[in-house]
Amino acid sequence: MNEQPTRETTLRLEAVNLTKRYEDGVLALDHINFAVQSGELFVMLGGNGAGKTTAINLFLNFLEPTEGEARINGIASHREPLKAKQHVAFVSENVMLYGNFTAIQNLDFFARIGGKTDFRRNDYRDVLLRVGLPEDVHDKRLKSFSKGMRQKCGIAIAILKDASAILLDEPTAGLDPKAGHEFVRLLDSLRSEGKAVFMSTHDIFRAREIADTFAILDRGRIIMQEPASNLAGKDLETLYIQYMAGHNNSSVAAAGGIHA
Amino acid sequence: MLRTVIDKEVRDIVTSTKFAVAFGVCALLIIAAFYIGATHFKVSQEQYEASKAVNLRQMEGVTDWMQIQQHRIFLPPKPLAALVSGVSNDIGRTVEIVGHREITARDSKFNEEPIFAVFRLLDLEFIFQVVLSLFAILLGYDAISGEKEKGTLRLSLANALPRSTYILGKFIGSFAALSVALLVAIAIGCLLLPTLSISLTGEEWGRLGLIILVGLLYFGVFLGASVFVSSLTHRSSNSFLLLLVMWIMTVMVIPRASVLLAGRAVDVPSVDEIDAEKATLASQLWEEFRADLSGFKPSSNSQADIEKTMDEFNKYMDSLTTLRNEKIAAVTDRLNESRRNAQVSQQRLAFDLARLSPATSLTLATGTLAGTSLDLKGHFLEEALAYREGYYDFMEEKTGVNMRGGGMFMRMSHGEEEPDPINPRELPDFRYQPATLAASVESAVVDMGILALFNLLFFAGAVMAFLKYDAR
Amino acid sequence: MLSTLVQKELRAMLLSPKFVATFAVCSILMLLSVFTGVQEYGAAVRQYETSTQLSEQQMRQETTWARMTTTVLRQPDPMQIFVGGLTYDIGRWSGISTRNSIKLSGSTYSDDPIFAVFRHIDFAFIVQFILTLFAILFTYDAVNGERESGTLKLVFANAIPRARYLLAKCIGSWLGLVIPICIPIILCMLLVGVMGVSLSAVHWGRLVTFLGISLLLFTFFIVLGVFISSLTRRSSVSFLAALVVWIGFVLIIPRTAVMAADQIVRVPRVAEIEGQRDGYAKDRWATFMEESQERWGSRCSLEELDESERDTELWNRMQEEDSLRRIVEKEIESYETRLQEDLRRRKAAQQHLAFILARFSPASAYQLAAMFLAGTDISLKARYVDAMTAYRTQFNDYVEKKQAETGSTGGVMITMSSESGISITTGRDDVGIDVSEVPRFSPPEYTYVAAVAPIIPDFGILALATMVAFMGAFIAFLRYDVR
Repeated sequence: MNEQPTRETTLRLEAVNLTKRYEDGVLALDHINFAVQSGELFVMLGGNGAGKTTAINLFLNFLEPTEGEARINGIASHREPLKAKQHVAFVSENVMLYGNFTAIQNLDFFARIGGKTDFRRNDYRDVLLRVGLPEDVHDKRLKSFSKGMRQKCGIAIAILKDASAILLDEPTAGLDPKAGHEFVRLLDSLRSEGKAVFMSTHDIFRAREIADTFAILDRGRIIMQEPASNLAGKDLETLYIQYMAGHNNSSVAAAGGIHA
Repeated sequence: MLRTVIDKEVRDIVTSTKFAVAFGVCALLIIAAFYIGATHFKVSQEQYEASKAVNLRQMEGVTDWMQIQQHRIFLPPKPLAALVSGVSNDIGRTVEIVGHREITARDSKFNEEPIFAVFRLLDLEFIFQVVLSLFAILLGYDAISGEKEKGTLRLSLANALPRSTYILGKFIGSFAALSVALLVAIAIGCLLLPTLSISLTGEEWGRLGLIILVGLLYFGVFLGASVFVSSLTHRSSNSFLLLLVMWIMTVMVIPRASVLLAGRAVDVPSVDEIDAEKATLASQLWEEFRADLSGFKPSSNSQADIEKTMDEFNKYMDSLTTLRNEKIAAVTDRLNESRRNAQVSQQRLAFDLARLSPATSLTLATGTLAGTSLDLKGHFLEEALAYREGYYDFMEEKTGVNMRGGGMFMRMSHGEEEPDPINPRELPDFRYQPATLAASVESAVVDMGILALFNLLFFAGAVMAFLKYDAR
Repeated sequence: MLSTLVQKELRAMLLSPKFVATFAVCSILMLLSVFTGVQEYGAAVRQYETSTQLSEQQMRQETTWARMTTTVLRQPDPMQIFVGGLTYDIGRWSGISTRNSIKLSGSTYSDDPIFAVFRHIDFAFIVQFILTLFAILFTYDAVNGERESGTLKLVFANAIPRARYLLAKCIGSWLGLVIPICIPIILCMLLVGVMGVSLSAVHWGRLVTFLGISLLLFTFFIVLGVFISSLTRRSSVSFLAALVVWIGFVLIIPRTAVMAADQIVRVPRVAEIEGQRDGYAKDRWATFMEESQERWGSRCSLEELDESERDTELWNRMQEEDSLRRIVEKEIESYETRLQEDLRRRKAAQQHLAFILARFSPASAYQLAAMFLAGTDISLKARYVDAMTAYRTQFNDYVEKKQAETGSTGGVMITMSSESGISITTGRDDVGIDVSEVPRFSPPEYTYVAAVAPIIPDFGILALATMVAFMGAFIAFLRYDVR
């Protein structure tokens, strides 16, 4: 089913009028639209409860959209969830793997359920080294790992799946600067391999380092979406903080460029 | 400061789902136990009265006290036995009085109505022993380790709060909250008794109060153990597992295993062997007796002295019977004595071993207080024996014959006018006197002490462990 | 894919720290229970053998057929090692005589009440109380625990069908718990062999069926844990719920069912029945005595006969009386049979209701099935009473025949007459009696079919309950919010 068109022109992740209203009436997402192409790193900024995680949950079909679609490789994930999920890898905010398993055992399990059954121990070692986990911890149980180490395992699992799109939910939250920097480098290398990367965060500084496109989500609506190049000289921090402080619409509009 | 900690602890417990569910289940069960116990007692009471009436009815119309062939007495049901059944369903409840044989109790409830033995009964003691202890663990297993996991422990200890105050507050708070909740349920249960028209005497209320006190002490042991274990471990899942294993061991394994062990260690001759020995002896003596009887020589053979001859014969037979009975009694006593001694030492060993588990102390203390402990059988038989003496005296008075000899006399008389039937109600009534309250308390005090000691031990252990607890 | 998921479950199970602790406890308990069970059984067999020999010896010591009585005993069954059931509650022996009907008395618990204080611990008890508790301890957080740790999200970010995941969860947990539990079970079987308990083919059949149904109960609680965990979001909640359900199933329902049935169907107490019987017997004997006195009065006077004739005549008359007495005894017996029949019917109704109510809990269905398979069930008493009653008839007929042949009546006759004064006769000369041909009691046959037939409903209930729990888990999980 998978047609592999050229990398530059392919839309990997697409939100089309994506809307989610919870049973209790809260409108978590209100007709949002965005697209992530292969080789693009899309950063969704937003405070707690803005709807970032809801968007990711909709892509993974953990939720049913109220309206609109979340598409992975053109497949609407609520229609054909299993097909759609073959093309996406996911790294959660706080990667908690099986605590009693070693790093290798965790990797093996997730690689297999990701459809990759022919990996050897060497492959796991290589990928763990690549994400920056030294060899002496490969056979240690996950429950002894620090948060940064666990996040690295999470990204290793995503790499192993070799999906064309990667969803990251606040991946750098709680990481120290060094770990955060290493993490960003990893994302950069994945992008250069042609993956479409969608990352939600409120860590504006990390985002600024690598993002191709920024979007700011507030109360379920995208109030700003710009390519990084457009914002090159602008003070993203001020913009974001103003918005965070609640002076959103007018001040952001003044800063220029609302793409609803 | 302590008050604040206690306050917080009580509020924390009372508002938790765990508490609501546990308390709901316990309250339901306790009330059910009281209700079932009460109705069960009423049924037993009816049956008891019926059996007694039937026993007297079958004597009606008899014209001579000598002709009474069967007279039974029954162990009366007691309301407390319905709440703490102990061994009351396992031992015989009926004693045959007529005859000279050794007194035995037969017709245990479980033998007669095995349906109740299939799943056993739901009584207050069972709920205390099994359910409440489990809930105590459930409510206390994360007392320390849980707060550590949540991070509240660090926050609390970041203040100028002495650790000892903290743990003391925890103990007092949780014990107060839970025991008050339990007492409410128990009080409802107690109120149910008069509503179901079951009246307890003042003494019985006292006993019930003590039983409840023992139950709370036992509950305290498990609560204390939970806090202790939780201040030894750093993960609440570990402390739960540890406590669960401990619970299984104390409630289910140690008591049973100790009894079995003691059963192996001390050899008690089986009832069958003793019975067979007795029977053989009795049969030999009967043959001798028969032979000896022919040796009777009347002092005169004249018709006029027939009355005198009969008297002589009676005396002769009496003396022979007494001799025979003395021989039997000597052997029987010896056999019974040796069996009883072995049983007592077996019992002592079993209980000493089993007292490692507080569940044993609970069972023994509540059983003793409710009058359904292991002593019930012996006590009942003693009472029955005393009654039989009274019965013999009564019969001797009525008939002039000493029934202790066991001889059966049939007087065949012709042509006389029909004598008036006897009134069976003249028979002395069997009044079962349970052990006095003082005696019960005296024998229960050891186990109550053990439970209190366990409480102290776990409390001290918890304080010690907590003072050194790594709060990070 | 399924095998990957199953493998992971298995590994998660085996690597968890609680695994070692629980299986150590289970294994020790199982082995302990079987060890003590074998010892108890051995003691019971020894007691049975000595007692049988003693009753034999007593029969041989008897000098007249007239007073011939015996004692028959309930034979211990090796299955009681695994399922004690009612073995210790029901009387072990009954006397066999013309006068008294069959009554099992001398239960182990009433003879040695010390064992009744805490009861015995057996294999079925361990399965019912401890294995089930461990089953829910391992599965109560099967689904929501993974949600809490976030792995559920990671897993379902992949192309995994939910149904397959849940199936793998159940299979994995099942394998992870059942395979290890088989080790102590096998050790137990070996222990039974080593300790020299010989089991017949029927016993093995029953034992294997029993083990099968034990595993079925274990399976039910495993699936139940998964079900509860897929109904709830938080593992602390599901743990509480599972524990409450466990207490209800294992501790409460069975006990309350019997109580409820007792309230609904009333059964007269044994003493009432016996009282009725005694009342009837008393009436019957009173009539008999009256008639007897009339007969003595109407017979010709003994004084007309000479000495030797008189003696013969006297014995003949006594024999005549004796045979009439026997008729009365038979009448009383049949009256009692009717009473017992009625009692039994009512008891059966009560029992039926109690079991229906109790079977709302799969744990009590299991317990009933285990008892039936072991032959220590509630009908154990009836089986023996029936067999012993049949034997009693046989025995009494034989003794009566013998007595008629030898003509000895035993007893002591004392006559006083105005002429010869008092004279005491101790019966005719006692002839040594040969008891080798006295019919012997053989314990009732308990065939495999008889053991298995009553447990079919229990088997069905357990299978059904497992299916329901599985379907429930399935449906709940398909709609489970994995976030």
